[in-house]
Amino acid sequence: MNAVIPQPVPARTSIRSGPAVVFDGVSLVLGRTEVLCEVSLRAEPGKVHAVVGPNGGGKSSLIRCLLGQAPHAGSIAIDWPGEQGRIGYVPQALEFDRGLPMTVMDFLAALVADRPAFLAPRPSVKVTILAALAEVGMEDKAGRRMGALSGGERQRVMMAQGLMPAPDLLVLDEPMAALDEAGAKIFERLIGTLKARGTTILWVEHDLAVVRRLADRVTGLSRTLLFDGPPEAELTPERVLALFSHRAGGAA
Amino acid sequence: MSPWFDAFREAVMALAAEGYLPPSLAYGFAVNALLAGLIAGPVLGGLGTLVVVKRHAFFSEAVGHAALTGVAIGILLGEPYTGPYGSLFGYCLIFGIALNYLRNRTGLSADTLIGVFLSMSLALGASILLVLAGRINIHILENVLFGSILTVSGMDIAILAGVGLMVLALTVLFFNRFMVASFNPTLAAVRGVPVKALDYLFVMLVTVVTVASVKIIGAILVGALLVIPAAAARTVSGSLKGFFMFSVLFALTATIAGILIPMELDLPIPSGAAIILSAGIIFLGCAAIRAALPALKGDAA
Repeated sequence: MNAVIPQPVPARTSIRSGPAVVFDGVSLVLGRTEVLCEVSLRAEPGKVHAVVGPNGGGKSSLIRCLLGQAPHAGSIAIDWPGEQGRIGYVPQALEFDRGLPMTVMDFLAALVADRPAFLAPRPSVKVTILAALAEVGMEDKAGRRMGALSGGERQRVMMAQGLMPAPDLLVLDEPMAALDEAGAKIFERLIGTLKARGTTILWVEHDLAVVRRLADRVTGLSRTLLFDGPPEAELTPERVLALFSHRAGGAA
Repeated sequence: MSPWFDAFREAVMALAAEGYLPPSLAYGFAVNALLAGLIAGPVLGGLGTLVVVKRHAFFSEAVGHAALTGVAIGILLGEPYTGPYGSLFGYCLIFGIALNYLRNRTGLSADTLIGVFLSMSLALGASILLVLAGRINIHILENVLFGSILTVSGMDIAILAGVGLMVLALTVLFFNRFMVASFNPTLAAVRGVPVKALDYLFVMLVTVVTVASVKIIGAILVGALLVIPAAAARTVSGSLKGFFMFSVLFALTATIAGILIPMELDLPIPSGAAIILSAGIIFLGCAAIRAALPALKGDAA
């Protein structure tokens, strides 16, 4: 990595632990569909907590509940160690018109700054954005149009915005779905960096091999809680087969 | 406002009389119209970029059409024919806010709901206007529909300036938040953007600036000035900066051209139609430039 570019991460150098996140009996009914039923789990401070499960199993809904975007029953508490910290969120998708004349820099400036994005960002903001882009290996693409990025590149940009400002709790919704091999490597390194800094990471993922490698704890979710524990103990081949029969081959 | 405005008018009239500006500006009413255009153009062009980003083009058209009904109600209630602003703002704001309220609650797509509201509103307006047919001069209707520079009064300009300044300030202040809310509402909420409240604010901004511009552009076409310059700018720019600046520039150019050209050439064209035709020509020009210059199509993935 280029040593000249200041990192956004050391802005808060002291290692302080992220919060614990406690879901207690969370249920969600949308229309007549019960999406989540009495889900209780605890993400420990500073740990990487993966949530896996079949499509439509309620993983993303659980995140929406956490972020206050779904009318759920039960309680969700973010247990900050001191004063309230910052939550970063990396969504799965963005809705925007691909032809929109908006560069990567414009997009990130709109997210992190108050000055309208049609004006050039302040130098300090620009430096922060370029540093975050460097973290995801996209520093040379700041001037590219968002619509011209590949799916993997767009996901890296989304990851970069999750790093600004440096989060204490990072919520990831399938951040690797479109990543190529290089992108996946960068992502794995980032998770390591964040973990070293004490960030709590709640991570929805479908790739079980990666979960096995990176997560401290894994929760299986399919409307109800299926299992919850360390990945090497929980992600047994039989369980994986039962849960994801359609993709067990790749996951085992 | 008034002494400053009078000084501006006299300065422009003097310059026109000496031949530095187009001769039609030697008339006071023409300067009024020009001033209105100088205010309305950039504000509509700037807000228009967000209208395009948020896909509110059809909504803008509908609010403009609602102005027709607003005028009809105003005349029915005895407001002055030339500026029934109470009913205009009142009716159009109710129209816009009710539309946004129901959009969140009916589960209908925005264009379907706008279609329903637009037809209901036009039917109401047509009914009232026909009831009033015996009482009003038909030229008033023509002015409301297509805009007229002959009747732009000091009060019209004061209202337009006040609304324009407010809308411009709020657009600049909330620009990023409006954009982010349209990309991903959950992400916006995590970043502290009040998504629902901003939705209402945006609808209200579009409504008030539309209503304030009805005088020069007319109810039928006012929505178009929120859409065409931004659409033209979108085709030829590569960043948000270019998008916004070009949109403002195009809207300003179209407004001034639409006001001055018919006067200079002595064409009996209503100002609104001339403004929108100018904007349309700019749009076609931009589309042609984009087709001719492959670089503008953007770097492929």
